[in-house]
Amino acid sequence: MISCADFMAAIGDYLEGDVAAEVRVQLEAHLSHCSTCQVVYDSARKTIIVLTDSGSFDLPESASKPITEKIMARIRSQQRPS
Amino acid sequence: MDQAFTPLVACREYFGYFPAVYRAQTIVLRLLEAEISLEASILYGDSSLTHSQKERLLLMLASGEGRSDAATAHYEMLRLFGEPEAELDRLVTDYRHCGLPAPEVELLSFTLKLGSHGPSVGAADIERLRQYRWAPETIMEAVLITAWYWFHACVSIGLGASPDFPPAAIARPVTATHEESNLGPDWKAGPYLSAPELVPDQFPAISVFRDLFGFVPNVFRTQAARPEVIEAEAEALRLVLCAEDDLSRRQKEQILIAVSAANGNSYFVALHSEILSALGVPLETSDRIAQDHRRAGLDETDVAVLDFALSLAADPFAFGAGDWAKLRSGGFKDEQIIEAVAMTGLTKFLNTVQFGIGAVPDFESRIALPAIPRKIAHLFDTRHRLTEGETPFDPDADAIAKVRSGDSDAFEVLVTRHSRRVYRTLLGILGSPEEARDAMQDTFLKAYQHLDRFEGRSKFSTWLVSIAGNTGLQVLRDRKPLQSLDYGGADADEGLRPRQIRAWADDPEQLYSKSETRSLVEQGVLKLPAKYRVVLMLRDIEQLSIEETAAALNLGVPALKSRHLRGRLMLREVLTPHFAASAKEETT
Repeated sequence: MISCADFMAAIGDYLEGDVAAEVRVQLEAHLSHCSTCQVVYDSARKTIIVLTDSGSFDLPESASKPITEKIMARIRSQQRPS
Repeated sequence: MDQAFTPLVACREYFGYFPAVYRAQTIVLRLLEAEISLEASILYGDSSLTHSQKERLLLMLASGEGRSDAATAHYEMLRLFGEPEAELDRLVTDYRHCGLPAPEVELLSFTLKLGSHGPSVGAADIERLRQYRWAPETIMEAVLITAWYWFHACVSIGLGASPDFPPAAIARPVTATHEESNLGPDWKAGPYLSAPELVPDQFPAISVFRDLFGFVPNVFRTQAARPEVIEAEAEALRLVLCAEDDLSRRQKEQILIAVSAANGNSYFVALHSEILSALGVPLETSDRIAQDHRRAGLDETDVAVLDFALSLAADPFAFGAGDWAKLRSGGFKDEQIIEAVAMTGLTKFLNTVQFGIGAVPDFESRIALPAIPRKIAHLFDTRHRLTEGETPFDPDADAIAKVRSGDSDAFEVLVTRHSRRVYRTLLGILGSPEEARDAMQDTFLKAYQHLDRFEGRSKFSTWLVSIAGNTGLQVLRDRKPLQSLDYGGADADEGLRPRQIRAWADDPEQLYSKSETRSLVEQGVLKLPAKYRVVLMLRDIEQLSIEETAAALNLGVPALKSRHLRGRLMLREVLTPHFAASAKEETT
């Protein structure tokens, strides 16, 4: 039976879905009876979902065109080294 | 070939041409009939998803697997439906940020997850789709389309059918490689979708199942909402599995067991082991076929057929003429080989349906399936393919070539396409919109000046995000020249010891409006030290692979992984007060 420390040592790979089948079975066995690790794991998983889905730091549509024009003006003003 | 052959007419009407993959099978008409009937029941008719939505799912599945021939066909189909090319390009490059409504993005993510790694799908995924208001019949439909995608992919690859359209360079979507992390232990068993009661008298297909299995297996019962699909599946089983004209029934059952085992599908291993046992093959033999068919005491020809099927199922990019040659030299007729291909495709179809709907086993598993190596688990894993020195499909290749040949105006396409991505990365690192805009100009300028150094080993967008990440870090260094960004090691404990132990809400994203969630996440990310922030931006937001992120930041993979985990756990700490189950009451 693995400990909470063992679980935390493997949680990174587990979150990535990158653990061997037999390790996975052990981790899930631990989760099934350890509510603390279950909470940590579940909230970490949800953190990633919220982070990736939030649309954070998005460029406002209206800002895109002026910046593109600025960049292109700078590019046209210089020769690309070959 | 008889032009009035019914499936052919339906198929030609739908596509406007007769696809090469079907032309290649005209020597075994019953297979053609089975496949087109199944395709018609899933794809041609009107249903809860529009034709465009279905084609979008198929396009994303094909581009996700790096199959440019299939992707091109679906791309062309969507253009025919009137979808603008620019939008399709945005879709395949970054479907999460291409302006699709959130439920559509969610449905695509689910489809890609089911398509790339069926065993990882669980009740939580279906619940998530339900929270996005997808009806059970629509979810069922997405499952069927994914399953159909795999049938078609196996048959196209297995037959080496020539593409119907010249394959164009089509991007691989930014798939969430950590998507599997959505998968927790499967707290709830299936079936994930409730199905109406199946009334035997109203289903002519029932007799096929009764003949075949002696009962109606759960995987079919669970699909009762789609009677026409069940009919087509029964027909496919009758025409592909039961016919004894070419391969024997026993050989085909063996393919079903071996390929299901390779896919990690214990449901079908158990079901068909029982069927084979009724046909006189001991259960122990089926167990061994599932575990290692070469040690199952089969004769040479049976082993050869299974070698062929497993090669197609497990390593399709390596599959080819050599596999055909082996069977031909073993005395197999082409009709038999085509049948082995169709049987492999049908198995992949059935496995995917079962994974997607979570049909409950009819028989208990007798054996634990051997641990599935990643390569097999991720059936058509494109990352596997790319390590062999091939270059990824890159939608930017044309524009890059033009810029290199002196047409600097062509660079505008690249700026327009990637400005949001570059900006996002920079804002996440810098926190100030003004600085992010300035750094964005620098990033594109650097990319332009150093375009010759871009070797095409990664996608252009990945290379660009790496430049953005480093440009952002440089700005931070310049901003605070006297403070190091602390690139030394972290404290052994930093970020790793959980402090907040509070369960999060079931669906944290439903707690706040979209813009509130977004602002909480942005503030949370900006609270982290820069070295963790940049990793989250590159890896989780821009979804570079672990290796790509490590290379971009000039870190080793273990160091990157450690920093990534710390960043994620720190963000968890920061966000927990807002997303814990009771958080909303506290803050309101």
